[in-house]
Amino acid sequence: MMELLPQALTDGILLGGIYITIAIAFSLTYGVMHVIDFAVGEWIMFGAFTGYYLNKWTGLDPFIFLPVIFVIYFGVGYLVQPVIHRVLSGTKGNPFLMGLVFTFGLAIMFRGLALTAFGFYSNSIPSAFSEGSFNLESIGLTVTIPTVRLMGLAYAVAITLILHYLLKKTNFGLGVRALAQHKDAAGLMGVNAKRTGSYVYGIYVGISAMTGVLLGCILSIGAQMGNEYTIFAFFVVVLAGMGYLAGVPWAALLLGLVQSIFMIYFNPSHTLLAVFVILYIILLISPRGLFGKGV
Amino acid sequence: MKTSRGAAILAIITAALLILPLVVHDTFVLRVLTEGIMWIGLAIAFDVIAGYTGYLNFGHGAFFGIGAYTIGILMMQAHLPFWVALPLGGVAAALTALIAGIPTLRLKGAYFAIATWALSRAIQQLALNVEFTGGPDGMRLEAFLNPLFFYYLMLITVGVIFLVLWYLLERAPFGLKLKAIREDEEGAKALGLNPTMLKMQSFILSAIPTGILGGIYAYWITFIDPSSTLGDLVSDQAVVMVVFGGMGTLFGPALGAILIFAFKTIFWAYLSDFQLLYLIILGALIAISVIFIPNGLWGTLVKRKAVARPQQKPEPASEPAVLSAVAVPEEGN
Repeated sequence: MMELLPQALTDGILLGGIYITIAIAFSLTYGVMHVIDFAVGEWIMFGAFTGYYLNKWTGLDPFIFLPVIFVIYFGVGYLVQPVIHRVLSGTKGNPFLMGLVFTFGLAIMFRGLALTAFGFYSNSIPSAFSEGSFNLESIGLTVTIPTVRLMGLAYAVAITLILHYLLKKTNFGLGVRALAQHKDAAGLMGVNAKRTGSYVYGIYVGISAMTGVLLGCILSIGAQMGNEYTIFAFFVVVLAGMGYLAGVPWAALLLGLVQSIFMIYFNPSHTLLAVFVILYIILLISPRGLFGKGV
Repeated sequence: MKTSRGAAILAIITAALLILPLVVHDTFVLRVLTEGIMWIGLAIAFDVIAGYTGYLNFGHGAFFGIGAYTIGILMMQAHLPFWVALPLGGVAAALTALIAGIPTLRLKGAYFAIATWALSRAIQQLALNVEFTGGPDGMRLEAFLNPLFFYYLMLITVGVIFLVLWYLLERAPFGLKLKAIREDEEGAKALGLNPTMLKMQSFILSAIPTGILGGIYAYWITFIDPSSTLGDLVSDQAVVMVVFGGMGTLFGPALGAILIFAFKTIFWAYLSDFQLLYLIILGALIAISVIFIPNGLWGTLVKRKAVARPQQKPEPASEPAVLSAVAVPEEGN
């Protein structure tokens, strides 16, 4: 069984890459707007289907469409955010509670719309990268790396670096971080909370949709795929510490490794339960995530 | 005056519901009414933790499923009689709430919402993959074909749930403490309350009736499987009934449950593919309620009545404002 360990570790890292892409923009949104978006999985699902149909109609490789999909869904997110802003800014009842309920409602509605439009069947998005793989051999151990999964990891690294640059090296990023720290003080310093929130939400939806295309190439797409990715987004973000962006890559890799090892050495059908137990233990021991820097 | 009138209305409704089966002999109607009453109970139970305490339990359906499966396992494998197994369904739900609540109720509401939602999925996966639950094929219970029995059992159970919750949440100090946590948790702590303990009690109080109703449902329907009792729809419908009807009240969820269940029952009879449309409508209704009627139907109705009252009689110019200021906050919740 030990000969499977290198493959398990490799698969875990690749899976962690997927979780990075799922969770990192979500964590950004939570940090800035303090909204838990229950529709994160649905944005991913819509992006996947958009990529699927663009590929179907044009015959071009879906990776070519990533920028197009980002632009489309950035626009969608930009337009949706004012509604969420209104909910969060309401003076009636508990605004935070209402934000949770609102996004929960959006998720249900989106799932219904998708099931109506796309049906219950699963598909996958064909890509030129889907069939290739690399084989590494050393001292009798073999590790297989599917090309498309490697693309996923590369995408995760790219997104992480771009977000890091955006947040650390630009005026926009400075405004975002100020907003995350203290909304009113940032407003006094000239940061437009509403517009900045729109940009952040647009970025989040755009990245989520691009991630959907990626997942469509690596795994499969279906109208009910959203819930699974929403759960993983939540798990990674809680492990990382709510709103602590730097913790996301490490939490995602940890989750990917645990899940991968669990799938090989234990019962795959209990993976979700195992992940939930880990979440439970983390919340029990270190409620602010692995690094103790959650909000 | 207000209390006695409300009591009179409730008495009339109760009497009507008790007498109804003697007048209506259609089994289908009886089953529909039984399920409608069950949903009132589920919505009210959800509101204990969501509306009164301000912590959203998106895994509400898990407790319903736990109650159903507990009854199924105890009756079909341990061969316990129904009346012994039923309370244990509530106990199982309470224990699950206790365990799940320990790490999450100490933290902000976001953690609780995420954890409870994830919990319901984890439990569903467990039920799908464990042998003693029957896996994806579900479980079959002995058939007890007596629609009248289940109608009265459901009616009495929900009636008791309503009375107990009404007393605890609207008359006992417990309810005030929960509302204090909802409005300002830090302030409540400063006043000497223990928010974590109160939230835990509230969560368990929400779980017990849900588990019991799940148990009755299992015995009544005789078949349970992961998608029917542990699926999303129980939680989704509970959320929409409470948000639409009015969070933080008892009559709001009941009103929401009646309207939405009636809507579903009527349309499901006419539209073959209504299930998908129903999901869209559920989600849209939640989103629209949050934006336009944050207090829900009941909250809006009560508030409107309160505002209208001072204007009905002529008053000196200075007094109407005072009356409005006093009346609205009192009735608003």
